[in-house]
Amino acid sequence: MNLFIEGFALIFNFNTILIILAGVALGLVFGSIPGLTATMAVAICLPISFGMDAANGMALLMGLYIGGVSGGMIPAILLNLPGTPSSISTTFDGYPMAQKGLAGRAFGLSIISSFFGGLISIIILMLLSPPLAQVALEFGPFEYFAITMFALTLISSLSEGSLVKGLIAALIGLTLSFVGAAPIDSYPRWTFGVDSLRAGFQLLPVLIGLFAISEMLKVIEDRKPDIAKTKDGNSEETKVGFPLGAVFRKPVNFIRSTLMGVGIGILPGIGGGTANIIAYVTAKRQSKTPEKFGEGIDDGVIASESANNSAVGGALVPLISLGIPGDTVTAMLLGGLMIHGLQAGPLLFENNGPLVYSIFVSLLIANVFMAVLLLSGMKGFVKLLSIPKHYLYPVIIALCVVGSFGVNNRIFDAGALIFFGILGYLMIKGKFPLTPLILGFILGPIAEVNLRRGLQMSSGDFMPFLTQPIAAVFWIIAIGSIAFSLYKEFKKTRSS
Amino acid sequence: MKKLFIFLTLVFMVVLAGCNNGNASSEGEGGDSADAGASYPEQEINVVVPAGAGGDTDRNTRVTAEYLSEELGQELIVNNITGSGGTVGVDEVNNAEADGYTVLAFHNSMIINDILGLTDVNYENFELVGSIVQDNGNAFIVNADSDIQDIETLIEMAQESPGEIQVATETGAFTHLQLLEFQEETGTEFNVVDVGGAADKTTALLGDQIDIIPTQQGLVQEYIDSGDFRSLGVMSEERLEGAPDTPTFTEQGADIVYDKFFFWAFPEGTPQEVVDKFTGALESVANNEEFQNEMSEFLVDVSYMNPEETQQLFEDRTEKYSEIYEQTQQ
Repeated sequence: MNLFIEGFALIFNFNTILIILAGVALGLVFGSIPGLTATMAVAICLPISFGMDAANGMALLMGLYIGGVSGGMIPAILLNLPGTPSSISTTFDGYPMAQKGLAGRAFGLSIISSFFGGLISIIILMLLSPPLAQVALEFGPFEYFAITMFALTLISSLSEGSLVKGLIAALIGLTLSFVGAAPIDSYPRWTFGVDSLRAGFQLLPVLIGLFAISEMLKVIEDRKPDIAKTKDGNSEETKVGFPLGAVFRKPVNFIRSTLMGVGIGILPGIGGGTANIIAYVTAKRQSKTPEKFGEGIDDGVIASESANNSAVGGALVPLISLGIPGDTVTAMLLGGLMIHGLQAGPLLFENNGPLVYSIFVSLLIANVFMAVLLLSGMKGFVKLLSIPKHYLYPVIIALCVVGSFGVNNRIFDAGALIFFGILGYLMIKGKFPLTPLILGFILGPIAEVNLRRGLQMSSGDFMPFLTQPIAAVFWIIAIGSIAFSLYKEFKKTRSS
Repeated sequence: MKKLFIFLTLVFMVVLAGCNNGNASSEGEGGDSADAGASYPEQEINVVVPAGAGGDTDRNTRVTAEYLSEELGQELIVNNITGSGGTVGVDEVNNAEADGYTVLAFHNSMIINDILGLTDVNYENFELVGSIVQDNGNAFIVNADSDIQDIETLIEMAQESPGEIQVATETGAFTHLQLLEFQEETGTEFNVVDVGGAADKTTALLGDQIDIIPTQQGLVQEYIDSGDFRSLGVMSEERLEGAPDTPTFTEQGADIVYDKFFFWAFPEGTPQEVVDKFTGALESVANNEEFQNEMSEFLVDVSYMNPEETQQLFEDRTEKYSEIYEQTQQ
């Protein structure tokens, strides 16, 4: 408790609070623009933080992190464009809700879920970091491989309509993830002698190409009068909703999604991009009315937004207690700590207790600012919709191109963005679901590298993949997951 | 239809504007080399680290970059571009524009990547800037409660049950070669497992998924201090100044010596003036006492090597590593 007060003292001055506020605001801007991400916000501000003292520097980065992860909800709800991997499943129900004129409610639900999801994960981080980090250490190649296999079984629930098309999409995603130098021995695959392909496709161009560019192509083709314009003056849309009751009346969904977010966030390498999808699918499967998912149901928004924010607290657990970064943002935070002469690891609490607690306090304050800024900006965001799409979309497309280029400073990635935009558009036309593709693309490399490492460890024996206790549990869940979807399909065909 | 037209026009305009800017700035940078030298650097410099965040390459580079940016008056932005023992990041710099705004910060793994056939890019494809950080603390680290007490018992155990002891490496990386030589030299055989970069190796050892990790002692010193890990020894000629209790491999009957040197290099064709300016900045940083103190905490040495000396070191080590590799392949 003493440490907490000392940490609080480091943060509680006008300057630092202002730095956090600026960080959150900038993070929100980056998160809300498709193509720019929390990772970029942190990358750009990292050198700035070096000039500050450690507490201020980390406070800035924490603000950016929380803001960056949360901002994605804005384009997801308003425009059906997931700005970051963390908000993919927010589009599933947030956008339909906005289409019904309930954008205000969608924001309200998202903000509340994000705030409380974030809050719970920060509290877990503060109280349980060391023991949770020990749990994360139990996960080796065998366990990671089993988890990815389990996550891939979720595809069935993400394929509306046709399971076969969902599987095809997932396989395309897996195949695309194989392009480039193979893990471990770096043998070039699918490169056709093209040098640019050796580094493979980056997640960002694939994601925003598939989801954002294709969506915009679809809108061009529609040439319908702007939806938002026809709804102008609709009081429902701009009404600032604060549907606390909707979140907490059915607390199971919220709590489950939050805990899943923390759990997935803790595992280095899996991270927030998958947490929201897994939480969403689980919510759908556990729901009594799964058919309403995708049409603008509260539970879908709550699941996605609580999971992606709670993954933040989770990702910081191995960073702070072991010095192991869980995703690209925490990798840069680790760099930030090192520059300030702090070695993240087992002795960080002992040697720099007050500073660690000042990071926790920054997170708590940033979380509050995130909610306040979003709530007060809500009316303004909805107004964005009244900008005619033929002005809005070119700007967004330009930002997407810039963002893709910025991933590795290669023009190739901007070309890849366009390619995936067209691929996504064709898939939408052919009624192929996009989410299985992105899931396959994210999980493919994790599955492959862990399969190969595991086989090295076991000298070529496949048994440990099944017999390691934690792995076995995930295999059982995976099998249950497949059985569940087969049962669903069976019931559907019988009733029809 | 009209809206569609306006929309498409706007898209083209924005994209064209973007392209134009890109061309204009790149021409400005590389165009006149005499100018480039005098005014360099005019913008932030991209530093490519072909290793993950949280490892020793990353740490040494970030600290050096901070001091360098004071010398050069521009920010240095460190990017981790990882993959296949570092070849992805090395390629990235090799293919980058030779304008002085993309620089490689790496270590002797580049030689090993070449020898193992992972790439055909080597030091000759770069304008070497120099080296200011060297690390002689290449160590074998085990968990504190491991049965392996020292290098001698390790050799005994490995000879008794070949292929049983699991040792971590990243395929094609520096530690890979160390392991090949160790096995050859001591007549042992390990189960060599790829677990990823430096941070991943620490994780694997903490999680007891592996028996030994070869890594830089300075990188895990904190875990040694906290009582989680033990060092079996370091592959240096003499014991480290910062860790006098850790014996060398040679003392324990395995005559293996490795040094790891961290170098800076520009793509081939970078103007000489730019290289000279950067080399000068490196030398000033190496002489900065504050920098030396900061680096000594990581158990590494700071000494300035100019481009020629760095080139010489590359040549020597390439020869040494090739020999070792050929022997182990017989």
